[in-house]
Amino acid sequence: MQWKPTTRDAARDFETLALPLAPSLYNVAFWLTRQQTDAEDLVQETFFKALRGFSSFQPETNFKAWIFRILRNTYLTSRTGLAATRTVPLADHEDAPLDAAIDWDTPEGRMIGLSNQAQVRSAMETLPPHLVEILLLCDVEEMKYKEIALVLDIPIGTVMSRVARARTALRRALLGTNMNSKAGRREEPK
Amino acid sequence: MSGHLPPSVLNALIDNELSPAELARVNEHLAQCPSCTAAALSTSMLKQAAAQAGRSHAPSAQFMDRLAHHSHRTPVAATTPRQHWLNWAIAAALALASVVYIATRHITRQHTIASLAHSALVSEAVDQHIAALASTVPPGVISTDQHTVKPWFQGKLPFSFNLPGTLPPATVLEGANLTYIGNQPAAELLYRIHKHRVSIFVTANNEAAAPFTADLAGFHVQSLTADHLQAVAVSDVNPTDLAALARDFQQAQQSSPPEH
Repeated sequence: MQWKPTTRDAARDFETLALPLAPSLYNVAFWLTRQQTDAEDLVQETFFKALRGFSSFQPETNFKAWIFRILRNTYLTSRTGLAATRTVPLADHEDAPLDAAIDWDTPEGRMIGLSNQAQVRSAMETLPPHLVEILLLCDVEEMKYKEIALVLDIPIGTVMSRVARARTALRRALLGTNMNSKAGRREEPK
Repeated sequence: MSGHLPPSVLNALIDNELSPAELARVNEHLAQCPSCTAAALSTSMLKQAAAQAGRSHAPSAQFMDRLAHHSHRTPVAATTPRQHWLNWAIAAALALASVVYIATRHITRQHTIASLAHSALVSEAVDQHIAALASTVPPGVISTDQHTVKPWFQGKLPFSFNLPGTLPPATVLEGANLTYIGNQPAAELLYRIHKHRVSIFVTANNEAAAPFTADLAGFHVQSLTADHLQAVAVSDVNPTDLAALARDFQQAQQSSPPEH
């Protein structure tokens, strides 16, 4: 593979497309790495790789999905990514129960939990990276399932099941924090 | 539609992924099923909550500055009609400033790209070295013999290189792998100095790059360039031993044609 120098026009086009996405890329990078410096390194390396490979980008295709895919692949080969893949499951546990097995808390409890951003963020932090990333792509970045499938390099059916699994896991985590906070309130001295 | 809506349909509903026909069927069901309506509302609220909580990390201004080049536009000062000489002077100054600005911007852009390239190369080389340390898969070729390792790359790389015939004390060739560095095919030569493992990544050198040394995550990185090659050595061995191996590798490239 030959090094293809980026022309000035291409670099300008790249900046126009990529710079507005930098905050989103950084946000996802931070969630994956959980470290500011690692997130900055990840985004910087993503920009470099994307700039260098920009000549291979097809203008009629989805730039956002393309650069997020580079970010994810870069993460997976990074030190933190390698460490994460050694400690958490990469594949979905298809036999894990979905919503049907969840004992829902009261609607009031759910409302309180969902309105507390810090509580939701704490619950998200307990999720494994492959579930967090799909929530970020689907809910935060508002990508379509088709785009998510491109980013994660998985079939759309897997995207759907993983979205369902991520939301189930988030509900479970929120339910746990709600129950803990209620238990804490009950234990408070009168 | 019989029974309750499965989670996948509820998710597709709130993610706006249903076709018009599917959406019509789901809406028809929701109109008659309070339980599914409540579940859809709950899922929608969960999505909103995740969207708000998930957007919680913003890059620093300094970091954004590193990614972007901010162009500062200087407003042109107003002049009186009688001050023609001043107009010309300002025009000349603006022209000069434009030339300086364009040149500076070009240099800054090139410097930023070079800086990005440098840090990305170091980071990628260290990552690959760590991956090699952690790997349980044997390398593509296992040999202490340079005459076995070098021919293994024939037909695998678009360039050739020499391996040093004599190595520094306590340094052993262990094998090699084919890999990619910076989207280019690369040879990963695996050495051991005492008990420290060393990776030397060798790629074709397509542009002039000054040799450099760097430290990252406890690993020392030393690059070297030869006529048509760029190599990056990575290890946690002391820098002196790594430099000795890198020097021998570079000297081996000066013998022409490449040894067989």
